[in-house]
Amino acid sequence: MAQETPKRWAMVIDQERCIGCWTCAVGCKEINNEPIGFWWNRILTSAPGEVSGEPSDALTPPASDNIDVPHGSFPQLQLEYLPVACQHCDDAPCVRVCPVGATFARDDGTVLIDYERCIGCRYCIAACPYGVRIFNWGDAERSPDFTVGYGRDYRSDGRLVFTPDRPTGVVEKCTFCVERIDQGEQPFCVVVCPTGARVFGDLDEPGSPVSQLVESGGATQLLPDLGTDPRVYYLPAENEGGK
Amino acid sequence: MATVDAAASVPNPRGRVSARGTLAALIVLVLFGLAAWIYQLTQGLIVTGMRDEVSWGLYISTFAFFVGLSAGGLIMASASELFGVKSLRPLSRIGVLTAAACVLVAAVTIIPDLGNPQRVWELFAYPNWTSPLVWDVLIILAYFLFAGADLAVMTRRGLSPSKRARQLRTLAYVGLPSAVLLHSITAWIFGLQISRPWWNTALLAPVFVVSAILSGTALVVLVVLAAKRFGGLQLPTETWSTLARLIATTIAIDLFLVGADYITILWGNVPRDTATLNLILPGGSWQWVFWVEWIVGGLIPFLLLVLPRWRGRPGVIGVASALVLAGVYAFRVELIEGGLLKPLLALPPGVSLGSGASGSFQFLGSYHPTWVEYGIVAGLLAFLALLITVGYRWLRSLEPDKVGG
Repeated sequence: MAQETPKRWAMVIDQERCIGCWTCAVGCKEINNEPIGFWWNRILTSAPGEVSGEPSDALTPPASDNIDVPHGSFPQLQLEYLPVACQHCDDAPCVRVCPVGATFARDDGTVLIDYERCIGCRYCIAACPYGVRIFNWGDAERSPDFTVGYGRDYRSDGRLVFTPDRPTGVVEKCTFCVERIDQGEQPFCVVVCPTGARVFGDLDEPGSPVSQLVESGGATQLLPDLGTDPRVYYLPAENEGGK
Repeated sequence: MATVDAAASVPNPRGRVSARGTLAALIVLVLFGLAAWIYQLTQGLIVTGMRDEVSWGLYISTFAFFVGLSAGGLIMASASELFGVKSLRPLSRIGVLTAAACVLVAAVTIIPDLGNPQRVWELFAYPNWTSPLVWDVLIILAYFLFAGADLAVMTRRGLSPSKRARQLRTLAYVGLPSAVLLHSITAWIFGLQISRPWWNTALLAPVFVVSAILSGTALVVLVVLAAKRFGGLQLPTETWSTLARLIATTIAIDLFLVGADYITILWGNVPRDTATLNLILPGGSWQWVFWVEWIVGGLIPFLLLVLPRWRGRPGVIGVASALVLAGVYAFRVELIEGGLLKPLLALPPGVSLGSGASGSFQFLGSYHPTWVEYGIVAGLLAFLALLITVGYRWLRSLEPDKVGG
């Protein structure tokens, strides 16, 4: 869909509201027909102030490699959830390294993959600081084994940026639900979130909820010291207990 | 003179038989690698041990290794031209031949790593100039063409010696910088990535250049020893001692650079950096790369080359070279896999794997190559040996008395 006024899409995730229920991740799997073992969107177990907005050199190992385990030691326990999908970086390392321009950023900031162009070198997976890219190693296995979700091809400027059955040997990831936002709808994770922790909109529209949340301060980006300038922002949970 | 020619044209029968057996074995291995690749094409890369966390494995490590191997010969040939290192001159042809073969096989090694190898032409149709990979492909091609040109000048008939010398010298002015560029750009594929602290060091290009000279020289030694065994090639003692000195010196520089990186990480003690180093240092789950790099392929060959007791014997230099190659290979694995083992966002449940077979997520990366990967890499190694063998025979058929002194 050609857009008359260029948007600058962004998403804000309120970690104070996030309860770590994975509904957004499951909704994402559904709308995008993601195979078994594929999670475009995943919910990391974190602790307040541990990750969002913190530089990459401040990260400390978590207490456990299982989800839902609080950080710290009793009684100073902390728990926070960090939903992570493609950050749609303004200066995206994946776009820079893709040798054939299969990964590209649209004018509205959405970072997409052309499934007909990708040669499957996986350089983008190595280059992504957020670990959100997934490769189609073999034939996809699905449960249920029929197509669910959007269910048809979607092209942006002629490039195949969504198809329900991604071919073997290409990389895939979150598209900000490009086929939905181009029709004026919200990304599916925003729609399904039961606590309203996700807000999506146009950063160039001063009155939009995302602009207000980003400009009112407190909104942080993931690994900001890397200079990737993500279009996904986080409102960290307030540190109520502990410390 | 007549007796010398006769001796050269009738190699000893034992050498001849085992040479033929070796060739047959190499061809079988190449075919096996090809079969493994065809199998991989039908199934997808799911038949490898790679998954989304460790998404580059043996193929890319081997690719970087082969690129490095191509350095030695060409740098040797160029150094003998530019810096007048006369003792290396007998190795010029064998060196350039080795370089051309290695860089060709390196380029081929990228192919099995691709998910869509049939789209590889897009690299030339839609190049993205910010990608180091595009530049690497170009420099690999340029380097291969250059090595071919060098070889053509060396073997062209009817060229007057003075003209040949002048042309070789001119080529050497291009060859040396392009070799440095080749290894630097290959290093920058990894070294420029902010997402991988283990790779993201300015030391990477220098380390790649030095380890390339190291492994490339070691390979030339092995090729020369094989030529000696099967083809009766003789080198002056002086050449052997130059080779030994070159290898010993580059072992020291290589380990110095890698060690300087270790010290920087250890002293800084920043979690994102130590996370990987702790896996590699003694006691870590990847410690074998440390031992192979530092002891088996570092200290031991260094001592073999410098201690007066063994110094200068071609057999000993050969053993040291084989160990050095193992060490440099371990370094490639250490670098490439090490960079992928720990994601920056090291929080549970980890990274989505892209396969549901063993759980959806992986927290700490693990990687175990499969028989398909070993098979394809073995095939590529055999292909390299085959190219060098056939190339050497071709060189010898041109001017039997001139290949190597």
